[in-house]
Amino acid sequence: MVTRYLRRFYTSFATYILDIPPRLLALLLFLLALSVPLLLAGNVKGGDYYLRIFILANVNALFAASWDILVGRAGQISLGHALFFGIGAYSSAIFATSFGLPPWITLALSVPFGVLVAFLVGFPSMRVRGPYLALVSLAFPLILIRLSWLESPINIKAVMGGDFGVQGIPKLISNGYTPLQVRIFEYYFSLLLLCVGSIVLYKIARSKTGIVFVSILDDELASKASGINTTKYKLLAFAISAFFASLAGGFYAHFMTGADLSTLLFGGPSKGLIVPGSFTVVIMTIFGGIGTIYGPIVGAYILSLLPLLLYKIIDVLSSLANLGLSIADIWNWTFLIYIVSVVGFVVAWQKGIAAYVVEKLDELTETEEIRKDRRKGKKGKKGKKRI
Amino acid sequence: MLEDLIVNGAMLGALYALLALGFTLIYGVAKILNLSHGAFYMLGAYLFYAFATMAQLEPFLALILAIILVGFIGAIIYRLFVSPIIESEVIVMVVTLGAALILQYLVMMLFAKGGAIEHTPLPRLLSGGLYFIGVWMPLPKILAFAVSFSLLAMLWIFISKSKTGGAMRAMAQDREAAMLMGINTERLCMLTMALSATLAALAGVLIPTSMYTDAKPDMWMEPLIISFAVVILGGLGSIKGSLVGAFIIAYAEQFVLLFLVGGESLSGTASLAVMVLVLLLRPKGLFGKRVEME
Repeated sequence: MVTRYLRRFYTSFATYILDIPPRLLALLLFLLALSVPLLLAGNVKGGDYYLRIFILANVNALFAASWDILVGRAGQISLGHALFFGIGAYSSAIFATSFGLPPWITLALSVPFGVLVAFLVGFPSMRVRGPYLALVSLAFPLILIRLSWLESPINIKAVMGGDFGVQGIPKLISNGYTPLQVRIFEYYFSLLLLCVGSIVLYKIARSKTGIVFVSILDDELASKASGINTTKYKLLAFAISAFFASLAGGFYAHFMTGADLSTLLFGGPSKGLIVPGSFTVVIMTIFGGIGTIYGPIVGAYILSLLPLLLYKIIDVLSSLANLGLSIADIWNWTFLIYIVSVVGFVVAWQKGIAAYVVEKLDELTETEEIRKDRRKGKKGKKGKKRI
Repeated sequence: MLEDLIVNGAMLGALYALLALGFTLIYGVAKILNLSHGAFYMLGAYLFYAFATMAQLEPFLALILAIILVGFIGAIIYRLFVSPIIESEVIVMVVTLGAALILQYLVMMLFAKGGAIEHTPLPRLLSGGLYFIGVWMPLPKILAFAVSFSLLAMLWIFISKSKTGGAMRAMAQDREAAMLMGINTERLCMLTMALSATLAALAGVLIPTSMYTDAKPDMWMEPLIISFAVVILGGLGSIKGSLVGAFIIAYAEQFVLLFLVGGESLSGTASLAVMVLVLLLRPKGLFGKRVEME
């Protein structure tokens, strides 16, 4: 009985995962991700710091995947995606400090607020498209930031805390654990959020709804003519995207034990970490491969871990060559090389690094017939529309 | 109070127009949403500082050298980064954003000692001032106003009368058709990028010196957002629109600053709120071409 189930499980596992190289690679990477704390915690000096980077990579990856379904699939270019992230972080933080709710409930509460804001912002944004939408969406988080300093007619500063934000919210688990245990827990929890989130997003992207999204991206008028209520689907894309972005934001607030204005901003390097934000999410998604859902995750991981690697290399090189660079200098060099290489990669591989790898892996398993067809097809250059 | 509003709004409007014009020009001609526009502004301020303070040149000579150099840098950035990926809107955004960050880190390493984000005081172009309908106007502000106004007029004539300007307008209407008419679109895009970078750099010298603010390596975000607001309000790619938009935004900011309670923290919001409101009523901005869905 048990063996039969096991065997059936194994056959389906083998056909659906082991025989398909990209999925096998994803499984291996997942197993590697599972073993990260085992490799780092306790064994390596500064393991806590490295774990922080990995947790941020998870947050960035979930956030980037949520951007991808809105922009890469539904074609609604948003340059202010940090609005949803920041709303998630702030609502989590405000509920935790002002109402004293336990962390799990505040994390769950960050999601409905993010979705609510997505409807509030998405509804007026339906009228504008293309670059106009990009710039309008950029305006919303900036308006919120400026309102957060407001004191006199309405005291928003008291709620949002102005420059310092809302600080001192509890971690997800706190009592009775050592800081390292809390970190490891946070790592696994963020990995869980990332896995569940990315699988759901991937399934949505592959579902009928996802196909409608792509039809809106390709030709909105044609999908309207086919009887699709494009406004409804665009709002849905905003809501789905905001759901996961605010979840990532809510987790981030508990991870950083506070939410400040940086959660609403553009993101970027800060003290060696890549902080999530409106612009970093765009760069990570394009780097990994837009419209693929797995691309942003790979991009977020690479771009979150790359500064550390570059820092180590430059540090070693400068000590070998006796350049005597200060730590700030090394970080500046790191980020200069980092940005130059990211731009270079994006220009060279416009499809994105993950999309490129998956394409190469797919070529490994294809039969002779498909290969012939592909070669024939390659003669005429594919003019696939990309946004 | 009212005189303050009129005079300050006009000053600010002319400067905003100068800032936003390059942004709308490069979008209109080459369909590039140039996120490194603010970085050219920042670079203009820093090169002005380098020539005027570090190399001890005459301030006006330093200004001219700085803006020309930024124009060249703009052309190089177009050639290296933007030209290969010009087809895709989102990748253009990423690459120009990356270019802005590269410029920021270069400036941080060259000018800020210790690598931190530091304030760099800029040399003054002029000192003194005069009363204009009862409002005290420092001379740098008047200079900035005069320079930007005359430059806008010159640019208007250049675009509407000269052959290159005609080519730009042709390309703004239809890239392929312009190419078929024998216009070297690649070179024209590069030229437009250089022109737009020069305008941004000029704004980068005039605005901080007339507002008495220091230069910082991360000062590029604020002007970028202002030019977004102006350009979107007026309609992307429309020169007339961005002139009108600049004055609307400037007057809205000054109005909120002078007349509303809590104006200081709200004045930045006013411009963005006006932009969003106008867009909700007219999705293509005030003067944007009303393009139906293709």
